[in-house]
Amino acid sequence: MRLALDDNDGSLTDQIIETVDTPIVILGPNGSIKRFNPASQKLTGYASDEVLGRKVWEFLIIDEEIDGVRAVFEKTRGEDTPTHFTNYWKRKDGQHRLLEWSNKTIHDRSGKVSYVLATGVDITDAQATKLQLSETQAYLMSIIDASPIAIITINERGELQSFNRQAEECFGYKAAEVLGENVKLLMPEPDQSRHDQYMGQYMETGEKRIMERARSVLAKRRNGEQFPAMLHVSEFKDGQPTFVGFIEDITDQKMTERRLKETQFQLQHAGRVGAMGEIATSIAHELNQPLTAAASFAGAVSLKLKKAEYAGCEDAIELLDDVVSEIRRASEIIRQMREFIRNRKTAKSLHNVNQVVQEAATISLIGAESEGVKLETSLDDDLGELQLDRIQIQQVLVNLIRNAVDAMKDCDEKRLKISTAKRVGFVEITVEDTGAGISDEMKERLFEPFATNKEGGVGIGLSISKAIIDAHQGEIFANIRDSPGTVFTVKLPEGAYDEARNHR
Amino acid sequence: MTRPEITDKGTVFLVDDDIAVRRGVTALLSAAEYSVETSKSAEDFLSKLSSLDLSNAVLLVDICMPGIQGLELQELLKDQNIELPVIVMTAHGDVPMAVRAMRNGAVDFLEKPFTVVEVKTALDRALSMSRLDKTPLQSPEPALLDKFEKLTPREEEVLRGIVDGNTNKEIARVLDVSPRTVEAHRQKIMLKMGAASFAELIRMAIALNIDGNYLQ
Repeated sequence: MRLALDDNDGSLTDQIIETVDTPIVILGPNGSIKRFNPASQKLTGYASDEVLGRKVWEFLIIDEEIDGVRAVFEKTRGEDTPTHFTNYWKRKDGQHRLLEWSNKTIHDRSGKVSYVLATGVDITDAQATKLQLSETQAYLMSIIDASPIAIITINERGELQSFNRQAEECFGYKAAEVLGENVKLLMPEPDQSRHDQYMGQYMETGEKRIMERARSVLAKRRNGEQFPAMLHVSEFKDGQPTFVGFIEDITDQKMTERRLKETQFQLQHAGRVGAMGEIATSIAHELNQPLTAAASFAGAVSLKLKKAEYAGCEDAIELLDDVVSEIRRASEIIRQMREFIRNRKTAKSLHNVNQVVQEAATISLIGAESEGVKLETSLDDDLGELQLDRIQIQQVLVNLIRNAVDAMKDCDEKRLKISTAKRVGFVEITVEDTGAGISDEMKERLFEPFATNKEGGVGIGLSISKAIIDAHQGEIFANIRDSPGTVFTVKLPEGAYDEARNHR
Repeated sequence: MTRPEITDKGTVFLVDDDIAVRRGVTALLSAAEYSVETSKSAEDFLSKLSSLDLSNAVLLVDICMPGIQGLELQELLKDQNIELPVIVMTAHGDVPMAVRAMRNGAVDFLEKPFTVVEVKTALDRALSMSRLDKTPLQSPEPALLDKFEKLTPREEEVLRGIVDGNTNKEIARVLDVSPRTVEAHRQKIMLKMGAASFAELIRMAIALNIDGNYLQ
């Protein structure tokens, strides 16, 4: 059965309704279905016969939306303007489809509503895609927010487009506060004033100054504090050019570096002073010998002159006494010099032994890896802290490690093993190499000043080391093995540590 | 080496690795009428030990030598029950070493370089002990005890610090006073104890059993 629209060419309209791929439904003034085109039939699975005369909300509308649909229907009936509405349809097989409707009321000549014409678009799939997209976006956003690196994006004018959680954390601004602001607010001078120029230059010439490579910069927090950061900028095109910046706060890293640098400096200084002290001690001994001989010779002459046959030589004897007293003065000067240097007291405090060892290893091995030295460390986690002079102990360790590296210079196998271990009453640190080892001749004089078999070596490193370990009531010795290489062992007593504890 | 001619003064076995020291000290001691037998090392001395006449003799040995050191030689002799008074020679100001040697039974120590008077005093004292065959550390002379008891508690503390081989600066830090004050105490102690030299003061302190191990 057909329901022709009240126009001049009903059959054309009919054909359009019948052939379009768009669901079209015509309702009577009370909401009963007057027409249900093939597209509608295809969408719902209902044949035309099954629906004509029934009201849409009786079977096509899902329960939650019935009231809404009826309200729209009432409204559509009352007004002359088209209305738009989105709702679900329940197919014959129970599946739901989401449709977006344009409703239009058609009046008869007397002005009464004769029909409501509803044209729908099935947006179920589009909606699903949209939903999926926003889910994906949320997923990506949460990854970006979880990033430990601050990620920001800016447009070609330098205005902030996104500002992740780490960026909020790092800079102290909330995203909402800074979005749209110029990125230069995150920089200290002089970059702040120059950034627009930088960007302008890039946009104009395409010349990459900081793009595509990480570099270290200074950034500025909300409170004005500046911090060192690694910055990496990439460009991508999202319609218009967008720049994404990855910013990593490297304050901690810098502090570690600085601490290492300071330690290195202190070690060099301590090394120089230690070397002076050791040389002074040696000179004191070496010089004291000829002085002793000289004083004795003078004394001998003086004694001889006192004999009867030399009567009248009192003047000469007095002069000889002056010689001896001057010799003693010289000796005293040397002693004072030695004491002055030796009085450089150990400044002991509690230190984590493993950390002390690790720092020493880091400092001594700068550049050693390029020489092919393989480092193996085995640190005992139970060591804890020990009362020691950090710089002095590191001086010893650096000395031992550098010696080890030097000893392996001409060896094919260059393995360096540094270990710490807790023993009863003391802590043991060993430095083991696979180097040339120590000759029998050297063995005996190992810790004596000026004993060396290193080319260009002065031979005071180990004697200083021994002095330092002695001052810590510890022990240092070399285990000379049959296999190539040497093991140096440093033992530090735990006693000092306990003492420190008890005195608290 | 030829057996030196024995004189009344006694024999000095001089052990030092430095040839100039051996020559100079030999000249000095010969002029002072001791017989001198030199060895260039502890090993050298030990190798000829069996052929030496140890009566009325004293060992004058440098504390710091390559190979067997002065203190070790002293211990080796003690282990072999060889009764030979030992005087160690130290570098100026090496008190802890000297104290250790004295505790090990050395009768005295001489700081290099030394004067005729110092070396003669030390040798004669050692030789008289050698003749009497007495160890000096058994009981301090009553007179020495009297002098010691005149020290104030603070002075006694300073003395202990000195005997333990500390410098004025170190003692000052421990006692929380200025090094100058410690020096003043030191002068007073020397005066009260009647010690002519620092070495003598150390010797007295050792005789009085004053050191870290005997702290009451």
